[in-house]
Amino acid sequence: MTRDQWTDRLSEYLDGDLGVAERAALEAHVASCPACEAILAELRRVVARAQAIHDLPPTTDLWPAIAQQIGVSSGGEPHGVVSLAARRARRRLSFTVPQLAAAAAVLLLLGSGGAYLTLQRGTSPVPPPRPRSLEPGREGGRRPPLVGWEKTRAKYDVAVAELESALEQGRKSGRLDSATVRVLDQSLVTIDSAIVQARRALAADPGSVYLNQHLADTMRRKLELLRRASAFAPART
Amino acid sequence: MNVAAVVALVVTQQTDTTVPVRAGMRLDVENFGGEIVVRAWNQNSVRVQATHSSRDRIDVSAERTTVNVRAESRRGLAQMVEYQITAPTWMPLNLHGVSTDIEVDGTQAAITAETVQGELKVRGGSGQLSLKSVQGAVKLQNAKGHIDVYSVNEGLTLENVNGDISAETVSGDVTLQGIESANVEVNTVSGDVHYDGTIKDGGHYRFATHNGDVTLAVPERANVTVSVATFNGDFDSCFPVSVTTTTKHRFSFTIGSGSARLELETFNGDIKLCRPGQLHDKHHDDQEDN
Repeated sequence: MTRDQWTDRLSEYLDGDLGVAERAALEAHVASCPACEAILAELRRVVARAQAIHDLPPTTDLWPAIAQQIGVSSGGEPHGVVSLAARRARRRLSFTVPQLAAAAAVLLLLGSGGAYLTLQRGTSPVPPPRPRSLEPGREGGRRPPLVGWEKTRAKYDVAVAELESALEQGRKSGRLDSATVRVLDQSLVTIDSAIVQARRALAADPGSVYLNQHLADTMRRKLELLRRASAFAPART
Repeated sequence: MNVAAVVALVVTQQTDTTVPVRAGMRLDVENFGGEIVVRAWNQNSVRVQATHSSRDRIDVSAERTTVNVRAESRRGLAQMVEYQITAPTWMPLNLHGVSTDIEVDGTQAAITAETVQGELKVRGGSGQLSLKSVQGAVKLQNAKGHIDVYSVNEGLTLENVNGDISAETVSGDVTLQGIESANVEVNTVSGDVHYDGTIKDGGHYRFATHNGDVTLAVPERANVTVSVATFNGDFDSCFPVSVTTTTKHRFSFTIGSGSARLELETFNGDIKLCRPGQLHDKHHDDQEDN
């Protein structure tokens, strides 16, 4: 079996889905293949980070509506919904390398808002912003089609637009003073600039786990800043 | 004496109120503008001294679990109040301001402090410590517990702090000195990150920036697996390292048994590792140059 074939099966290995013989063969290959070992180490890091995400409670009244709109939990546990610990326990990442990277990216993106993505086999795998497989020609392989990213991205855009609108209302109503508005605007420019740079880098190297994570981290920061900003506007009656 | 000063003398009023409290109560202060200064003492009472407009009234109410401090105005929300509050060392603090500087000294309890426009300075604190400012630096010293510090456009400084740490800003440096922790996460978009503290076996440390350098002191006997990622930047170490795994933008190496996990990331910037003394000297020189 070639290195590429093994690379494609690293996520199955991490999930414990390989048979004894395959597992042993893969471990033997990884032991002699520094590149595969490096990829496996990165994937383990992705999984560890995804599982360690803190699901913070929402801090603004706007958030529940937005969370509902973008299809994530807004905190609290409605009847019949499993606990956060249970969600974490059952998170299984079972994608190809770029899918796994991007899935982790979306987890990071939405994780701080009490996000809930059911990342189970066959549900919402998500590629990087400009999907391109690490292995050309293998996009249509054993894994499900990469359909989730655009949807998630659209939800993210909706959330950002909603929060930007709330911020704009705070600005127009005078609830946010001009100095604070200026600071928030500057900070959003700073983050947007970072997002643009990360996107460009990712377009040139779409298989990079680091760049996927970094872009997701930066996008999450924008969402978080907007969430906080919408909560900053005090009642100044 | 100019006209403004005369007017100020006329309208300024002092309030001085002391209320008894008992264990289990917390202090909750809201202030639109001015400052909130809280000092700790060993008495079971809260003293509130406030300087404010004569049009405002300071309301100090002790309920079953909370001492609430608010300012009310005949014309709506009170605009500027300078609070000097003395509270028991054991009393948890919940302090909120808008255009307000917040300072806390000597408490040994949990603190939540948030302001939009203003600096946050806290010496002491234990348990859950959450310090957040939009436009203002945050500085925390001599504290222990579960620590969460956040700013939008200013730096974060933590000194002699013990416990789990999360520090995040958008534009500003993050400096951590004398840290005792097994769990540290630092993020900034535009700013440098500096860490000088423990690397404990089994601990998890993550330092990330987009535009900025990351400098870190690694103790001599640390056991840590280090992951370094940079897109446009260099890596430098004051001591030899042996890289074990490499991908395009990331590489790893192990020091000692490698039981702790350390992630260092900067998109545009350099990453530098030194020993504690070396890093302190370098950081000090850099600050003097600036």
